[in-house]
Amino acid sequence: MRVTVDVKGEETHEVDLETAEGTPAARSSPPTYAELLAAIDYSPHEVSVLVDGHPVPEDQPVETDEVTVLRLIKGG
Amino acid sequence: MSDLSLDAMQLDRYSRHVIMDEVGPAGQAALLDGSVLVVGAGGLGSPVVQYLAAAGVGRLGIVDDDVVERSNLQRQIVHADADVGRPKVESAAAYVRNLNPDVTVETYETRLAAGSIDEIAAGYDVLCDASDNFATRYLCNDYCVLTDTPLSHGAIYRFEGQVITIDPGGDGPCYRCLFPQAPEPGTVPDCATTGVLGVLPGTVGCLQATEVIKQLTGIGEALTGRLLMYDAADMSVETVPVHRSPDCPVCGESATIDSLDEVTYEARCTIPAK
Repeated sequence: MRVTVDVKGEETHEVDLETAEGTPAARSSPPTYAELLAAIDYSPHEVSVLVDGHPVPEDQPVETDEVTVLRLIKGG
Repeated sequence: MSDLSLDAMQLDRYSRHVIMDEVGPAGQAALLDGSVLVVGAGGLGSPVVQYLAAAGVGRLGIVDDDVVERSNLQRQIVHADADVGRPKVESAAAYVRNLNPDVTVETYETRLAAGSIDEIAAGYDVLCDASDNFATRYLCNDYCVLTDTPLSHGAIYRFEGQVITIDPGGDGPCYRCLFPQAPEPGTVPDCATTGVLGVLPGTVGCLQATEVIKQLTGIGEALTGRLLMYDAADMSVETVPVHRSPDCPVCGESATIDSLDEVTYEARCTIPAK
């Protein structure tokens, strides 16, 4: 499964979830958004994943081929 | 001021507002009648305070527990060299009083906390989150959602800024919809460790001041339901559509936060398991 991950303010990544590092090729459950983030070295704690503008929980299975990632920033 | 009467001095001071069809005497009267609590008198808070005072927002509250440091002066333009060591709320208030006698400025030299926010923020029409830490950001968000108070959120990092307006009475998301919990302490860097382009909070703070003025006057389309992302290095602006989360713990369909007492506003700003 190939997913386009648009990290706003950073790069856009093409992630093949079947072969992403740390993602078993053969598995009983589909990969989650947390695993998708791990494949591009982000923690779910520092970003939010949106699908069509809707935030999705990190433990949900990836069911789309395009996601947007917003990074938390805190400076003021 | 509710009768829309502006005196001669005010007609002169605010003439460039008054002659605009979209603002006019009624819009200016709304600003003079309006009240805004600015949380943070640092990089973002400086231009917010300056432009809201110049615009004639009648009651301006400023919350900050810091004193001015010399390293602040590269971007926190409401403070001056002579203010080093002075509480930020004092130097910001002095700036406001010097700029516009129409503005009543109220200062709170404290860090906003769950136990004090109601007493401090009650009665303000709009909150402007210009803080620099997640505990305050989540506290402002939760308070505004629970009290149905509009909130302007802004944040900066190196060359980039984020702005969104949270209107709890509307359809758009709150901050917790996007980021349900604060990150682990230390995982998201701050300006003190990574630096920040000095002019960046000026741009982002001006966007927040614009949104606050729009909230008070009812002008234009609020920045709700979309996160504005500004990149000073690329000189690019993008607005990302964002929707309310049904799972949001404070504004979702089965919200679990009914009171600020239920949240620990430190570290990850989580709701303790019941």
